[in-house]
Amino acid sequence: MYLAKDTYQQQSDLATYCRSGKLSDNLEVLPRRVKHYRRLVYNVVNDSLVSAFPLTVDFLSQKQWNTLVNDFFSRHKSQSARVWEMPKEFCEFFSASPTPLFSTYPFLTDLLWFEWFEIEIFMMEDQVFQRSTTDGDLLKDPLLINPEHRILPLSYPVHLKNARKINPDEKGAYYVLLFRETGTGKVQFLDISAYFSLLIDNLKKGYPLFPVLKEFQQHMDGSSLEQLIENTLPFINKLREIGFVMGFKENQ
Amino acid sequence: MNSFVGIGYRKEFSDDFVNREIIRPSFVEVAPENWMGIGGYWRKVFEKITEEFPVTSHGLSLSLGSPDDLDWSFLKKIKTFLREFNITIYSEHLSYSKCDNAHLYDLLPIPFREDAIKHISRRIRDVQDYLEMKIAIENVSYYTPVAAEMSESQFIASILEESDCHLLLDVNNVYVNAFNHGYDARDFISSLPLDKVSYIHMAGHEQVEPDLIIDTHGQNIVYPVYELFDFSVERLHPVPVLLERDFNLPAMFVLQQEIDKLNQITQKHWNTTNVFSKGYIPTAI
Ligand SMILES: [Fe+2]
Repeated sequence: MYLAKDTYQQQSDLATYCRSGKLSDNLEVLPRRVKHYRRLVYNVVNDSLVSAFPLTVDFLSQKQWNTLVNDFFSRHKSQSARVWEMPKEFCEFFSASPTPLFSTYPFLTDLLWFEWFEIEIFMMEDQVFQRSTTDGDLLKDPLLINPEHRILPLSYPVHLKNARKINPDEKGAYYVLLFRETGTGKVQFLDISAYFSLLIDNLKKGYPLFPVLKEFQQHMDGSSLEQLIENTLPFINKLREIGFVMGFKENQ
Repeated sequence: MNSFVGIGYRKEFSDDFVNREIIRPSFVEVAPENWMGIGGYWRKVFEKITEEFPVTSHGLSLSLGSPDDLDWSFLKKIKTFLREFNITIYSEHLSYSKCDNAHLYDLLPIPFREDAIKHISRRIRDVQDYLEMKIAIENVSYYTPVAAEMSESQFIASILEESDCHLLLDVNNVYVNAFNHGYDARDFISSLPLDKVSYIHMAGHEQVEPDLIIDTHGQNIVYPVYELFDFSVERLHPVPVLLERDFNLPAMFVLQQEIDKLNQITQKHWNTTNVFSKGYIPTAI
């Protein structure tokens, strides 16, 4: 290590000042000028968060939003080298240590995550798509599903309605399927039930529909296999229509 | 025309960028951080860009001046990215953007000190060894010196000497610093080891206080910076020249006018036809 302790301290004090606004007496800078660094650094972080969370920004007051950003930036050590990924740390930070604002608006964490996952799916590295065919039996042949997706469990319906219209008594178990359209690269999302979430998880593993439903039926009281199939097929067809189910897996 | 001058690629540029209908840069520069390890729409756009233009890269997050250890896993991703797209030019800033294990996403000034020279030179050498290529470091704008014990030019020259890397000369940054810190921009440029310059940046700036200019990349290039560019080009061998415009983007034709103007100046002094044409390798790269 060539760096002298004092040089390190100067650098550390400047970085700390930028993040927290606390100016060390030992920092040898022009006080009138150094304030621009805090402003510039804050702006980069804020701009990145504002563009990642438009719904949250729209919902909160300017003051509430600024408090969140300040809180995050002064207390959290950002690890992402890519600034567009930093908003994920914002979600993680407030999920792990929520401020009182998150009690006032219990759906706020969900809203942040929902907004983040749209970015994550949009930006995710291209996945390998297996070969598919349009010929097959919906029940017996394994379906090929778009691997560029994620099912996000939520406690509030932030994907269904404006945050201003969500009531605390709407707390429940919600699932959103987010996936990237193969042609346009746009992210689509679909509200699904817990049952369909589990179903997709199984289809993803390569099991054909029929044995999966048979297995499900054994754990369900009252439903016959026929009923289950009848209730499930329209959903599968919808997934085909929107391009999430891409056809049948071609035999390798 | 358009032999030497490229532009920093922005996601805001529309489809007609690749068609070269309004703007005709001879190369584009990208920040690896914005394009590596991504897929989908932007990956496709990036592939198209790399097919249409020579691409150079200019990093944001390596934080060469940081007291922290080098981030080797990040550097590995950079190397993979450069290899994948066959990008042979990689530059970074002579500043730090990470400290105490926290990224700050902006360029903080390093104390101009002897120990910092040794520390940073060592890091640059390590990076060059790992990437198996020379990199260029950019002189950055700074608004306050931090515990400085020598001049900025002495600091830069010593690092270039000790690390055996190239210099990305940002002419606008020289202008900004000369204004902000009250020195002569031409003297500053003349005092640098100009044989090490492998690349030039040109940009606009914004005066925010009577005695302070901020390097915003959000305005057109001002006349005195063109003059300083002319002064620099006259003293340099041919290298790629990059127009940086990150904010407040004007119409494309305005950017092309700036590219034309820069080309006119280069052609006064340099007679090589194209820095990226086949068989021509800029001597310092
Ligand atoms: Fe620059």
